[in-house]
Amino acid sequence: MALSPRYVLRETGQNLWRNVLSSAAAIITIGVSLWLFGGFFLFNYAVDNATARWEGGIEFVVWMQPEATAEQDANIRNSIEGSPAIKEWVYVDQNQAYEEFREIFSDTPELIEVVSPDVLPPSYRVVPENPDADVVSELSDQFVGRPGVEEVVSADQTIRDIQRLADKVTRVFLVGSVILLTAATLLILTNIVSAIRSRGAEIEIMKVVGATNWFIRVPFMLEGLVQAVMGAMGAWVGLRILDDTVIKGLSEPDSLQLMQGFRVDQGEFYSTSLLVLVIAIVVSGIGSAVAVTRYLDV
Amino acid sequence: MIKLNNVTKVYKGTVVAVRDVTVDIAKGEFVFLVGPSGSGKSTFIRLLNREELPEHGTIYVAGRDIGTLGAWRVPFLRRNIGFIFQDFKLLPKKTVAENVAFALEVIGKPRHVVRKQVPAILELVGLAAKMDNFPHELSGGEQQRVSVARAFVNRPPILLADEPTGNLDPQTSVGIMKLLDRINRTGTTVVMATHDRSIVDTMRRRVIELDQGVVVRDQARGVYE
Ligand SMILES: Nc1ncnc2c1ncn2[C@@H]1O[C@H](COP(=O)(O)OP(=O)(O)OP(=O)(O)O)[C@@H](O)[C@H]1O
Ligand SMILES: [Mg+2]
Repeated sequence: MALSPRYVLRETGQNLWRNVLSSAAAIITIGVSLWLFGGFFLFNYAVDNATARWEGGIEFVVWMQPEATAEQDANIRNSIEGSPAIKEWVYVDQNQAYEEFREIFSDTPELIEVVSPDVLPPSYRVVPENPDADVVSELSDQFVGRPGVEEVVSADQTIRDIQRLADKVTRVFLVGSVILLTAATLLILTNIVSAIRSRGAEIEIMKVVGATNWFIRVPFMLEGLVQAVMGAMGAWVGLRILDDTVIKGLSEPDSLQLMQGFRVDQGEFYSTSLLVLVIAIVVSGIGSAVAVTRYLDV
Repeated sequence: MIKLNNVTKVYKGTVVAVRDVTVDIAKGEFVFLVGPSGSGKSTFIRLLNREELPEHGTIYVAGRDIGTLGAWRVPFLRRNIGFIFQDFKLLPKKTVAENVAFALEVIGKPRHVVRKQVPAILELVGLAAKMDNFPHELSGGEQQRVSVARAFVNRPPILLADEPTGNLDPQTSVGIMKLLDRINRTGTTVVMATHDRSIVDTMRRRVIELDQGVVVRDQARGVYE
């Protein structure tokens, strides 16, 4: 009574092969749309990670030159301690900076190998009394260009920069992926419908000899599922590449300070992969369900 | 085995294809449905298979009221009914053996059953030697034998045939009728719509004549007219 796997595989394989070109079109479309969809999530994770160092009310960071003298350092420290406008501050020395670096780049040991604590800048992470943008910028300006100071980065601006970039990128990804996912669903639907049409004779015989609805439907539904899962596999490869090149590239140590920490960890990558697979299954499910209920009256 | 009570079938609200038909067909009977073109023979047969539902009346097949059968049980009804088409409806890309096996596979029969029953039925219809041929390599009569094999491979208690000899020459038709006769003698109920006068007159079986959907004659060991 059960569907024999041999029968189902043979029928599904034949269906896919008969329409190789349109199957390929569906697989590519769903692959690209899921890639964009997954990319949206990876970028969001990366942005969250990049802005993580601004947690706890830290509004600006005074990055010291690694080769700053103790005197220059004491000078800055005195200014910070003496300022009534500063509520709290944390000094991150080179060893702590190295720890932070190791944590951020735990996925890429080769990067950690070439970096040692003495090349990393120590920094003062400052929490002002008043987080108002104007006050913060006036306060942080006091440290710009002083001896031993490499750069002063205020959270406000950094986060806004990242967010603006991320917003653009992710919006394109999301809108593009939703449009393409719709196209992919329609492609899967039309593929199944054309498979149903081209197998009218088989279906007629199946009905007349008493095959159940599910027996008739399952090979067609499986066809949609196979297309979706193959697309998801392609999308997964694309996401790996996106992570290895663009995202890791943006967070190279010599790139902008604000991009450091722009990264995705393994757990985030795999939950995104899983989501992509689930979406693929849902999309093929919708396409197949509509196809077999609307176009296969059994 | 088959029982129609006051069955009326109306197409599109206007065409009355079968009108108030009451017929009782016992197990193992062989019944010819005759009548002019458009008299409702095909409709009669499709009603038994539940391809059509009647507007009025009740139909019992194999002890079940098929009008009240849930949609999901229709396939199981059809497993009791073999169906033979005028135009064979063999699948062109499958061999003889595969065409017959298909009918078993799609109702979920396990492989060992398929491997046993397919050669046996092909033996019965006299096509064991051609089991690996494709339909286009066969004569019309041979193709119809394959179609009979496919309809009967699951040993259904009822066989329906809509002009099974309609596309065949008289000589070949006789061969198919001998085959159906043999199947009938194993206890299978056969209902066959036909225009073939000589077949009906030679076989002398029960004849039900329809005219404009009405049963105008129901005759045991009858003739065509
Ligand atoms: N699906 C349909 N929709 C509408 N009308 C139909 C349909 N099928 C049959 N009819 C009509 O019902 C009547 C009976 O048709 P049916 O096919 O049962 O006759 P038949 O006796 O099998 O004819 P033939 O000997 O030519 O095969 C005819 O008037 C036909 O036009
Ligand atoms: Mg007819």
